[in-house]
Amino acid sequence: MSTKAVGSPLDRVDGRLKVTGAAKYAADVSAKDLAHAVLVPAVLAKGKITAIDDAAALKAPGVLAVLTHKNVPKLRPAKDDFFNGGKAGEDRLPLADDRIHYAGQHLAVVVAETAEQARHAAALVRVAYEEEKPVLTADDPRARRTLPKESFGEELQYHRGDVDKALADPGAVTVEQTYTTPVETHNPMELSATVAAWDGDRLTVHDATQWVKGTQAILADVFGLPRDKVRALCPFLGGGFGCKGFIWPHTILAAVAAKVVGRPVKLMLTRAQMFVGVGHRPSTHQKVTLAAAKDGTLTAVRHETTTETSPVGEYIEACGTATSRIMYACPNARLVHTLAHVNVATPTPMRAPGENPGTFALESALDELAYALKMDPVALRVLNHTAVNPATGLPWSSNFLKECYALGAEKFGWKKRTPEPRSMKDGSLLVGWGMATATYPGYRFPASAKARVTADGKAVVSSATHELGTGAYTIFTQAAADALGLPVGRVTFELGDSSLPPAPVAGGSNSTASVSQAIVEAAQAVQSKLAQMAVADAKSPLHGLRADQVSFGDGKAFAAAEPSRGEPIADLIGRGGKGAVVGESATRLSEEKQKRFAFQSFGAQFCEVKVDEALARVRVTRWVGAFDNGRVLNPKTCRSQVLGGVIMGMGMALMEHTAYDERTGRPVTDNLADYAVPVNADVGAIEAYFIDKPDPHINALGCRGIGEMAVTGVAAAIANAVYHATGKRVRDLPITPDKLL
Amino acid sequence: MNPFAYLRADTAAAAVKQVSSEARAAFLAGGTTLLDLMKLNVEAPAVLVDINAVPLTKIEVAETGVRVGALVSNTDLAYHETIRQRYPVLSEATLSGASPQLRNMASTGGNLMQRTRCYYFRDGVSPCNKRQPGSGCAALEGFNRIHAVLGTSDQCIATHPSDLCVALVALDAVVKTRGPKGERAIPIAEFHLLPGATPERETALEHGEMITAVELPNLPFAARSHYLKVRDRASYEFALASAAVALEIKDGVIRAARLALGGVATKPWRAFEAEKVLIGAKPAEAAYSAAAKEALKDAKARKFNAFKIELARRTLVRALTTVGGMT
Repeated sequence: MSTKAVGSPLDRVDGRLKVTGAAKYAADVSAKDLAHAVLVPAVLAKGKITAIDDAAALKAPGVLAVLTHKNVPKLRPAKDDFFNGGKAGEDRLPLADDRIHYAGQHLAVVVAETAEQARHAAALVRVAYEEEKPVLTADDPRARRTLPKESFGEELQYHRGDVDKALADPGAVTVEQTYTTPVETHNPMELSATVAAWDGDRLTVHDATQWVKGTQAILADVFGLPRDKVRALCPFLGGGFGCKGFIWPHTILAAVAAKVVGRPVKLMLTRAQMFVGVGHRPSTHQKVTLAAAKDGTLTAVRHETTTETSPVGEYIEACGTATSRIMYACPNARLVHTLAHVNVATPTPMRAPGENPGTFALESALDELAYALKMDPVALRVLNHTAVNPATGLPWSSNFLKECYALGAEKFGWKKRTPEPRSMKDGSLLVGWGMATATYPGYRFPASAKARVTADGKAVVSSATHELGTGAYTIFTQAAADALGLPVGRVTFELGDSSLPPAPVAGGSNSTASVSQAIVEAAQAVQSKLAQMAVADAKSPLHGLRADQVSFGDGKAFAAAEPSRGEPIADLIGRGGKGAVVGESATRLSEEKQKRFAFQSFGAQFCEVKVDEALARVRVTRWVGAFDNGRVLNPKTCRSQVLGGVIMGMGMALMEHTAYDERTGRPVTDNLADYAVPVNADVGAIEAYFIDKPDPHINALGCRGIGEMAVTGVAAAIANAVYHATGKRVRDLPITPDKLL
Repeated sequence: MNPFAYLRADTAAAAVKQVSSEARAAFLAGGTTLLDLMKLNVEAPAVLVDINAVPLTKIEVAETGVRVGALVSNTDLAYHETIRQRYPVLSEATLSGASPQLRNMASTGGNLMQRTRCYYFRDGVSPCNKRQPGSGCAALEGFNRIHAVLGTSDQCIATHPSDLCVALVALDAVVKTRGPKGERAIPIAEFHLLPGATPERETALEHGEMITAVELPNLPFAARSHYLKVRDRASYEFALASAAVALEIKDGVIRAARLALGGVATKPWRAFEAEKVLIGAKPAEAAYSAAAKEALKDAKARKFNAFKIELARRTLVRALTTVGGMT
């Protein structure tokens, strides 16, 4: 397939809509007779509701209803079906009973004429409790602890070889350290919001979601409706990072409220509710043990993770599965994942769930090992590079990690690094250079698309995928244009609507790989029909050829052997009399490919920090990342993904921390003043480089996702650089001034 | 948020009358603190009197000093040429606070009325003697990383969050007010109150008393002054520790000094005793360290904020070094 648009730095096709404010996000949607809902949160972490006094709220101006567990209509449990339906963020239905499992749990919904009236009335609802002593941390001996077998199909308790024997080798150089990361909260700019409207038994929701089909499926389940009675729309999302992946209670409650009051209802979370109502990355406690021969060859990797979930969720942050198990050649490896249930809101995937905290621990430990071995950290990684997935023995579908190390090191100027801590200075500032490997699985999930080319030579291509701000509209327009042989200006891409051909959740960085293939195959279906039409049409210059002798490009159908013989497809479609030709696809990665190859992206992160030691102030002054995510569909949007990932990693490394009160379990830093994320002044120069070689096995375009890989390794690279600068190894994120004094 | 009445006043006299006639009335200037706290149900005034139309937006330079109208925005204050030249510490402190958007809204008088960022004060639920006198203090044994180590009591350890006020206490500014009983002048050091047993009382203002101006006395050596702020990120963040410093050095000896600390105390903190340590000393590390030690000698740490004591010392030493150099 010839590619012109793919690979070019096309400006965002939705850029103008966004900068002019014309792009409508969920909470921008209005409706006739719109009512507004506001949630009433639990202020304690565990207990029982003994009474809810809603008299004052019901008397307040504009109030239409107060929903509680006492009067909420009966809902049905939703099926937990990640691969064929939807997945709720929590196992428990909202307002199911009088139990309180964590602070911030929604206890009531107040519906009123205006948002202000609803907010005021919500503050008037009085809840009486019977308080119980909560379990708030994994190290509380009362915490229910489990060793789950798997997470999304990946083994959590894993062993190959004989780790104990390798560790017992007296000649081995070993590192054993514990690394901890705090609860982190996604904090996309856009607050989660749902506008729900019923028309008889048909439900339409405008929902800030990374998964319109998931929203559709869960809502259909809870209301006992066939899925085609529910439509979920989300043409634009103001960031998600995972917290809009699964379907959370507020979305269900908005639909319930609309049903109860018989009017459309808008429900938008507050920023504080974003810390309890849509998941977070749980804290992790990771013990990593590494052993190596004197030459640096790894002989054992052990990665023991303890993490937390709520009483009403099973989500586990799998720190070792796509990191310590597979990143390096090592015959002996063990993973342990322990899950503790605590009375804290339910966690959920957050950008590179598992891989991000997992690489912080593993890549910090490797840096410690490099110092123990007196070896360059890049050289150590290159030495232990693996040509196959060491857990399965399957070869990588494509892997240019060694090239990433070389490219990154060269662009960064790594060879000028003096390895001794505190050996590099800039005036009075200590300079540290650190690096780490980045990695993320190359997921491709089942996806479908539809292409419709009309007699004016334009095409509309659609799929129920998502635009999170990542550039999906743009890259899928590029993919569709090339696949149809049309200029990008003649192609419109539609997404964010559950009534479009099904596409997966925009999670796991799968969308680029999954949906681009669906687009390619839908376009092929169109071209196959066009070729058939042309060769059978006496008026076509292609009449009489076999269909497989017809090629497409620049809006034309032409003879492959004789490109001057052909005609515009618009003419062909015009004569066809139907006004349009439609092609559809339903795609999945074949079993055969899955059995033959391991799909994984890799990259290398290099950074410079400057530390004002007296003031314990760390600044990340320079960043170089080199990545292998297969072919790059758009270098501009791809680079933007890396910038966002690296900056998010800077936040994780240096400042982000959702702190809880140790007695009440309430998050105390639940706003954007107290939960610090990097501002422009924190961010130095970031350079992103891509190997840009197609993965020959994953799909036609050879592309894998980038969004999540970009954040992996960042925190470790910074922690390693801080050690190089100061001689202080911080194993407990974030690296705030108090830890460097 | 509670329903409230909204009124506008064109003159200070009218505003004072409107607020003093209603027990639950409040002045509204930039609104950057008040509206925020109203949305959190922490403040629930019945009446807001918008004073933005009162003509208090001038910066007047006179022989005796500079008079800053209460409604001068933080931005206009920070970039005013006289302020930058004669009181750089004030310009720097102001610019280190908040963001450009907030500084455009926030007023000089309003900054004096800024309220604490204590999580437990702002959550509207926890015991808090400041929000609900007698209810207790959740911060004492809570997550108190951002809390004060100076000027605390067993009733309250909330940090005063202002940067601008730290510079003002270093400069001995005077707060001019107009209230139901007339006009008065309050030295800035007496304007903010220590929490003691009454943390709900934060300033010397009486109900209905309005700030009309802040006067900066002449202080020629303040031309050699500096504000240094240390925080968890580079910008748009409250201080973990900050220092406002002005030094007068003649013939290699410190003749006069002004030291104030932010981010570590329950009010903008003037370090009078530490200033005395510097007088007559050579501007050098030894004197700076001795002064910093003196400034923090009464500091009391809680579980999560002990680091602030050392951080404040170092911040002060660095600020002194920047202004006084090393001999």
